[in-house]
Amino acid sequence: MSRNRHLPLTETVYYILLAVMEPAHGYLILQKVEELSGGQVRMAAGTLYGAIDNLLKLQFLQPVQSGDSRRKVYVITEKGKEILRLDYERMRHMIQTTETYLT
Amino acid sequence: MRMFKFFINLDKEEQWLNEQARKGWELTGKSWGYEFRQVEPKELNFRIDYRHFNNREEFENYRVLFEDSGWKHVAGTKSSGQQYFVRSGEAESAEIFSDEASKAARYQRMSRMWLSLAVVYLPIIIALATSGAVDASALLQPKELYYTPGLWSKTGTEFWTAFAWETPFALFRGIAWLALPILVVSAVVCSFKASRLYRKNFSQ
Repeated sequence: MSRNRHLPLTETVYYILLAVMEPAHGYLILQKVEELSGGQVRMAAGTLYGAIDNLLKLQFLQPVQSGDSRRKVYVITEKGKEILRLDYERMRHMIQTTETYLT
Repeated sequence: MRMFKFFINLDKEEQWLNEQARKGWELTGKSWGYEFRQVEPKELNFRIDYRHFNNREEFENYRVLFEDSGWKHVAGTKSSGQQYFVRSGEAESAEIFSDEASKAARYQRMSRMWLSLAVVYLPIIIALATSGAVDASALLQPKELYYTPGLWSKTGTEFWTAFAWETPFALFRGIAWLALPILVVSAVVCSFKASRLYRKNFSQ
């Protein structure tokens, strides 16, 4: 069985996708990623912009209507949720396997 | 003050702008050259991204993200490529990229832009060359570029006046088309240099 070619997701992409489960604009995504990662992942503006651009192309997220005319608001797509779930399962398997060997 | 300089290496360009600020010249814009205003010499942190935008809204969205993060957009337009930011007090980090890959990707976009510029001009050159509009033999027979009747049998002042008068036109007829191949070759060289910087920075 061939695995989805986008797996594994990078740590930053994984957290960005988690951050847009609820609609969020760019700077809010930056803050959420930092919070969700317990302060481990701090993204700079240029890096985040490039990552969003790429995720839009992959259709893992999409822009949504917002009241803010200056800031675009993004939300995860069904395709994005699917890849997030696949990566979650991949990691869960790793954790389960590790637990049986590493105790 | 206005200054003219050309950079492919964005890291060197950033350093140069920071040095200018230390000398008391703060970047205020860039259109036809760099525009500076005189200030008290100070430490400023300029950072450059490289991006083009399809529309105004996206360009605004981009600038606002940087602004929210504490980076003021000081120069660059929707289609200029280079986007100049200066760090304000609120910015958490001194960098606009948090990993090497996204920082290096600037050079990949720059390299592609130069290459597409070369590709756009190439058909024009081919059209000029194949339609006979350009005659490279004029470079070997420069006399043929002068149209004044009987010019070459004139003598003395009469000759020199007529010759000097027509030379700019002759040059234009003969070598103006050379600007196109020069442009294409320069664009290819720039693309190659940017691509080399991409590979160098990406592998670090």
